[in-house]
Amino acid sequence: MVAKVDIYSVLQTIPDPEMPISITDLGLIESVNITDTKVHVELLPTFIGCFALPAIAEEIRQKVSGIEGVEIVKVELINDPPWSTDRITDAGRASLAEHGISVPDGSSPCCSASATEQVEFRTSAIPCPWCNSRETTLTSPFGPTRCKTIHFCNACRQPFERMKKL
Amino acid sequence: MSELATEFHEPLLNVLRCVADDKLFLGHRNSDWTGIAPILEADIAFSSLAQDDIAHASAFYELMNTISGEDPDQIAFGRAANAYRCADIVTKSDDFNWANAIARQFYCNLYDYHRLLRLSNCTWSPLATLAKRICAEQAVHVDHVGTWITHLGNGNNDSKHRLQTALDAYAPYAAMLSEKPEGFDTLLEGGVFTDEGCLFTQWKEHVDTVLDSVGMKVTLETPSGLGGRMGSHDEDFLRSLTELQEVFSTDPLAAW
Repeated sequence: MVAKVDIYSVLQTIPDPEMPISITDLGLIESVNITDTKVHVELLPTFIGCFALPAIAEEIRQKVSGIEGVEIVKVELINDPPWSTDRITDAGRASLAEHGISVPDGSSPCCSASATEQVEFRTSAIPCPWCNSRETTLTSPFGPTRCKTIHFCNACRQPFERMKKL
Repeated sequence: MSELATEFHEPLLNVLRCVADDKLFLGHRNSDWTGIAPILEADIAFSSLAQDDIAHASAFYELMNTISGEDPDQIAFGRAANAYRCADIVTKSDDFNWANAIARQFYCNLYDYHRLLRLSNCTWSPLATLAKRICAEQAVHVDHVGTWITHLGNGNNDSKHRLQTALDAYAPYAAMLSEKPEGFDTLLEGGVFTDEGCLFTQWKEHVDTVLDSVGMKVTLETPSGLGGRMGSHDEDFLRSLTELQEVFSTDPLAAW
């Protein structure tokens, strides 16, 4: 009998292709279900239709099929519940901070009638992941990947990235 | 509700076609700026905006697949011109004029945002969930294009003049965004959507507020006829479609 914990330890070794963090720490795994030799993994995209998803799903299929006793692996992409930055684990946050990527905390925003109220990088002073100063400015709301913004710290004079608050 | 009654299938598919086609073609046109936008950050931003929009379109085509069973790629790339339901502003050529690109983006992003808010209130939960999620991403688009309006509108006489010219030129096409999708009334009467008042008015107010903040204004009038939403498209659309379908029509099974 395949144990769920074994599946999770394998998933823990799969890195996100665009982030220095595992897919489990990023909170992409919604559930793992085992029926005899069949494993069903539910995967959440960070951003809708994130282009890294097919690669992640393929790696899950390959690695999990390698576990003894597993014959069929099904990876299902789901949008409900929606992924949010709240799902990133503490270990994941620490790892991202080490790489100069800041992560929002607190509850996720949702739609309201006023657009500007929801965009976190306009409404809060973003802390620098290097020196924790809040003397930072937004360089660009679009960064190297769809899920990140680019900032600059005026205290330690370093650029950094931040995950968009979702 | 998670089940959609059969009588609403075709009307809702038609609404989703309008939403997804707008995003697919806007994303496609925005990708023209990759590598040549005026500054590096704008280049990265337009490439990200294009990725976002195409990804959003893809998610809507996948949602359509859950209703109709039709292959999402086939829906996106395999239709005849008159089966596309985008408003033609999304494919209006910007002639590689940055003010045009910003004006087109401004009208479309704001309209999309307000439309997504309404889709988020759909009583069919798969659409509401998806729209709510995309709406959070769309808010960043609205914010970003607002920054550019402020930047150009508060710039010098030249930037202000160029922006105003572009906003005026695109206004009639922008208004066509609010042409009502066929079958929408059936969805309202059937309770799939609730009547939240005039979307055109809500969008126009937002447009006016942003422009007012930089001392500009534009005349937007309710569309007089039905164009893109009924499958009637102009030359610019047809050029975009030919380009979009180039690979698919050569090899429908091509994969990355």
